[in-house]
Amino acid sequence: MTGALLELDSVSKTFTRGGLFSRTQVEAVIDVSFRLEMAKPEIFSIIGESGSGKSTLARIILALQAPTRGTARFKGRDLAGLRDGADRHAFMAAVQPVFQNPFEAFNPLKRLDRYLYATCRRFAGAKDEAAMQAGADKALRQVGLSLAEVKGRYPHELSGGQLQRVAIARALASGPSLLIADEPVSMVDASLRASIVNLFRKLRDELGLSIIYITHDLATAYSISDRIIIMQKGRVVESGDARTILADPKHPYSKTLKESVLEPLAPGERPLFAR
Amino acid sequence: MSAAMRNPAAKPEAAQGPVVAVRDLRAWYRLRLFGVDREVKAVDGITFEVRKDEIYGLAGESSSGKSTLVKTIAGAMRPPLEIVGGEIQFSFMDGTMGLNRAPADLVERVRWRHLSYVMQGSMSVLNPVRRIGTSFFDFAFRHMGLDNAGFEAAVVAHLARVNLPASVLKAYPHELSGGMRQRVTIALATICRPQFIIADEPTTALDVVVQKDVLAMFRSIQREMASSVLFVTHDMGVHAHLTDRLGIMYAGRLVEEARTPDVFARPRHPYTRHLIHSLPRIGDDRPRIGLEGTPPSLANPPSGCRFHPRCVFATERCRVEVPPMEQVAPDHRVACFEKDRVEATP
Amino acid sequence: MFVVLRDLLRYNSEFLAGILMTGVVVAMALLSFVSPYPPLDQFVAPMDVPPSAAHWFGTTSRGQDLFWLLTYSIRNTLAFGLLVAILSRILSLSIGLLAGYRGGWVDRVLMSINDTFIVIPLFPILVLFYFVMRDNMSWVMLAVLTALLGWSYDARLIRSVALSLRHREFTQTAVFSGMRTHEILSREHLPFVLPIVFSTSLNNMNWSIGLEVTLAVLGFTDINRPSVGGMIYWANQHSAVVAGVWWWIAFPVGLVVMLFIGLYLLAISMNEYIDPRSRLERGGGRKE
Repeated sequence: MTGALLELDSVSKTFTRGGLFSRTQVEAVIDVSFRLEMAKPEIFSIIGESGSGKSTLARIILALQAPTRGTARFKGRDLAGLRDGADRHAFMAAVQPVFQNPFEAFNPLKRLDRYLYATCRRFAGAKDEAAMQAGADKALRQVGLSLAEVKGRYPHELSGGQLQRVAIARALASGPSLLIADEPVSMVDASLRASIVNLFRKLRDELGLSIIYITHDLATAYSISDRIIIMQKGRVVESGDARTILADPKHPYSKTLKESVLEPLAPGERPLFAR
Repeated sequence: MSAAMRNPAAKPEAAQGPVVAVRDLRAWYRLRLFGVDREVKAVDGITFEVRKDEIYGLAGESSSGKSTLVKTIAGAMRPPLEIVGGEIQFSFMDGTMGLNRAPADLVERVRWRHLSYVMQGSMSVLNPVRRIGTSFFDFAFRHMGLDNAGFEAAVVAHLARVNLPASVLKAYPHELSGGMRQRVTIALATICRPQFIIADEPTTALDVVVQKDVLAMFRSIQREMASSVLFVTHDMGVHAHLTDRLGIMYAGRLVEEARTPDVFARPRHPYTRHLIHSLPRIGDDRPRIGLEGTPPSLANPPSGCRFHPRCVFATERCRVEVPPMEQVAPDHRVACFEKDRVEATP
Repeated sequence: MFVVLRDLLRYNSEFLAGILMTGVVVAMALLSFVSPYPPLDQFVAPMDVPPSAAHWFGTTSRGQDLFWLLTYSIRNTLAFGLLVAILSRILSLSIGLLAGYRGGWVDRVLMSINDTFIVIPLFPILVLFYFVMRDNMSWVMLAVLTALLGWSYDARLIRSVALSLRHREFTQTAVFSGMRTHEILSREHLPFVLPIVFSTSLNNMNWSIGLEVTLAVLGFTDINRPSVGGMIYWANQHSAVVAGVWWWIAFPVGLVVMLFIGLYLLAISMNEYIDPRSRLERGGGRKE
């Protein structure tokens, strides 16, 4: 297992807005390059505020959008060349998303287990009912749940934290090598957030899964990432080892970002907006 | 504090006592219709005060009932929600039910003049097809008692306080950035110098850099007007840096209340303690542990202390008895039977 | 389901009235199965008898008992409305859901077809077809034609819901679970539009019945097959109003008006049931 798992080479994405006469070009992503190695699973964070282009980048990596310039390659294959059908099918088995809002990630009118079964059937080659159930149970156990807890349940019967675990289990059921998690904990209660974050770390260590963690939250990014990039208005302004950068950011924007984070008070610390 | 028999139009200068006093408030959703039959005790026996010239923070996660509490205090209740018991008393108006049973003309006079709101979605306050200036006129003109020129001068001066140029008055809401819009709503809420402001997740939709600016501005305007604020957010970081006192809600009840630094330094309730210890910090590599179990269902809450199924300190007593809110130190109240053990545990 | 029905009946008087009126009409239609007179027989009863104990609604100038004739007519009219509603639902659902979900060029092509159908004048087209087909124009063919002309408004409505569903995260979850387009449309999105389909199909029935009655009154349908419009056509042919045979016109018109109002009331109370806010306000909660 050598070579790049995911490789972005000067990726840019430009959107054209407006009608016939007043066209404006919006550059959502500008010249972004990075590389994840197959041999070294890691949690790679993309940090940015709204409008930084981080979600567009996620859509490019999930092959839902093609870059305007540059190439995105997964295991050496150019994602722009993916056609519908067998190619895309194989790609989707290997790269799976986890979305921001666990309450929105499942159809509220349908049972949760359907999604797990469908993923096992389509991507993991489960032929019959028993194989699908075994696959679903295995995936759920990897996130600390079991099929017995989820079977026949509807989304509203579970908490945000549990739903996000089910969403991660669903993504794991296809046996992926890369997970794209776009703000996976921002809608989860703070007291439950730590368990999801810890789960990502466990998946990296035990399953050898690489995870791209997309967030605006510097504190959780610090607690789980191996490497980070910080994006501002489509450009990467700083990248490298997570602890080094977040402990001592160099770029002015990264500094502002770090200074703006409101963290719980340490004993004796003075509040920023004191009387 | 005797029921304030004041004329609502007269502004009390040195108010004694709290601006808002909530006593044993119970507000439930009662649904018995179209095959649904249930009672959701979203606010179940809450007592607290917001004093003059302070920012009182209210923290809680999903299904804590904090948004229901805010709706009840703001007088914005809609049918399935009703007040089942308790009192809400404002210093600036008579009666013990707040805005909820007050006659419409009194509510009309009190809103914006004495009590105002800053909500999460600025677009819900600002009419998208009217200029900002028109919104100011609609909300505030009749409360200010000024002529047109005087009113405009007052608005421009007030906008300067929130660091906005006078030109925003000519703009439509969609022409402004999210941060500017939220400044406008804060300016709208404060222009009549109300005694009491309800701020419900006002910065949650903003980016962190903008959030910091808006919060600093919010504090400075509060300080200048010496008004009282009920500041609601789930974000403990915001509470830590902004609020003076902090109440923590869990499953429809207040479980702890103290001066904000004390909440962070010496939490006495197991839930508060867990909440604070699970927050990640940059530069702190100690592992964090998530809370076990599921958030309570308000339709069918646990018996006794509602936190007991998830609590490591829980005893048999917690399962049957409801712990009362008790004073443990000046300005520090906790509802927990095991509070001493919690405090003794490192 | 039973409880929902009970509460609807208890709190929503429109629903109750709608059920009663539609119920009477449907009961009439069912009575046709026990009619003592075959529907096409003429001169089997005395002519021009006013309503009486022997002939409840009177008889026609063609010697038919009006009550029993009306049971056949309303049955045929209802069947026509139902068939149009079902056929046009199939069209509007598949086109609306597909256009909304796929978006892009699929949406543009389908919606330009849709808009063509919205603007073409359907009445002249139906009349034209009648003149081309003449005796070959059966009621089933008329229903198919009406359905072909009557799906477009609701397809747009369904498309707008599907457009919003497309951008919800669970649709992406379904895509990445490997579900195919038809599975996403039928399993994930269909349940969300079913309530709209239900209330629009009641309105669609009303619309198509109105169209059929109009065509029949003017004689542009198979006039030998009993229908409400056909009865009015024959009454006019015999100058019933001038001759004082008012019941020949009054009972068919009264019955079809009752059906219109009944279906309309059902449609609006369904709409109210779908919208939870108005549901709650009716449910005895205090309004502010």
